[in-house]
Amino acid sequence: MKKVTLFLIPLVLFAGLVVFLFQGLFSDPRERGSMVVDKPIPAFSLPDLMHPDLHYTPAVFEGQITLLNVWGVWCVTCAVELPYLTQLVEQENLRIVGLYYDQDLDPDFGTKTVTGVQQEVKNMLNRFGNPYSFNIFDVYRDLSLDLGVTGAPEHFLIDQHGVIRLHHVGDINERVWKNKIAPVVAQLKREMGSSDS
Amino acid sequence: MKTFFCAVVLTTIVLLSGGYAYAADDNYAFEDPKQRETFLRLTAELRCPMCQNQNIADSDAMIAHDMRRKVYQLMQQGKSEQEVIEFMRARYGDFVHYQPPVTPATSLLWLIPIGFVLIGGVAFIARRFYSPTDKQEQEGNDEAMALAEANRILEEEK
Repeated sequence: MKKVTLFLIPLVLFAGLVVFLFQGLFSDPRERGSMVVDKPIPAFSLPDLMHPDLHYTPAVFEGQITLLNVWGVWCVTCAVELPYLTQLVEQENLRIVGLYYDQDLDPDFGTKTVTGVQQEVKNMLNRFGNPYSFNIFDVYRDLSLDLGVTGAPEHFLIDQHGVIRLHHVGDINERVWKNKIAPVVAQLKREMGSSDS
Repeated sequence: MKTFFCAVVLTTIVLLSGGYAYAADDNYAFEDPKQRETFLRLTAELRCPMCQNQNIADSDAMIAHDMRRKVYQLMQQGKSEQEVIEFMRARYGDFVHYQPPVTPATSLLWLIPIGFVLIGGVAFIARRFYSPTDKQEQEGNDEAMALAEANRILEEEK
């Protein structure tokens, strides 16, 4: 009896270790819970990227479901997902708004001008497609910081009351859309339908 | 020998200046040296959310730049150290601070070592007080068994 337990202890420990390490193979060390989900979008007043005289506030998100896409021309993955996002706008009738920020444009000691950035953005959107209704220009990257953005691309699904319902880090492709985002969009649409009637 | 000495000095200078390269690129001015200390402590304690295990003072990622700027801004607004940490926590979660709070998930970090010490202590005491007799018995058994086995083999060989 004693021998069996002596034999079982290391076996159980070993099995536990195997399970622990095995699940480690599939875990993403970058994945973290978002702090902004189910909270209203933080207050901001930021200019339009193309028309700096135009200013946006959280009110632009009211009344419809919006996918807020954090991006920049310097971000390669953003370029890769542009065609698919453009396709989504046409197929799913989704409203996509860009939250643009630039790496090289330090607002205080900028090496680039705003017109330079605008030209780059135009070139890129002409080349890969333009899914954006408009682009909010996060000049000092304050809104990005408030949203807990760590890089680009990141996406926020915002409901008709301006509440963030989903935070997706990384690009959107067909698989991500089908598995993660489309179900939430469908649910938001149902919520909207029931509150209208 | 002289060349070697020169090489060592030059290498040392190059290596040392490398460490200062990043620190020079954003110069935050403080009126009070104490505030500067707080700033350095905060940027060492806050963790860059994008990089794997670097604090925001060490990291050159854009997010770390932005967070350093934010820490500076908040401090200029007169926010306390704790308030700055809370500000970052509200946006990036507990992950952002190198002092994890005690939550059900993190309590394991403290409980497991204590558990090991307790198990070790119990095992030690158990051995100390019960094992000598057990051991003698066991040894006696072993001897008896070995003897029986030897006898059996002898029997067989006869």
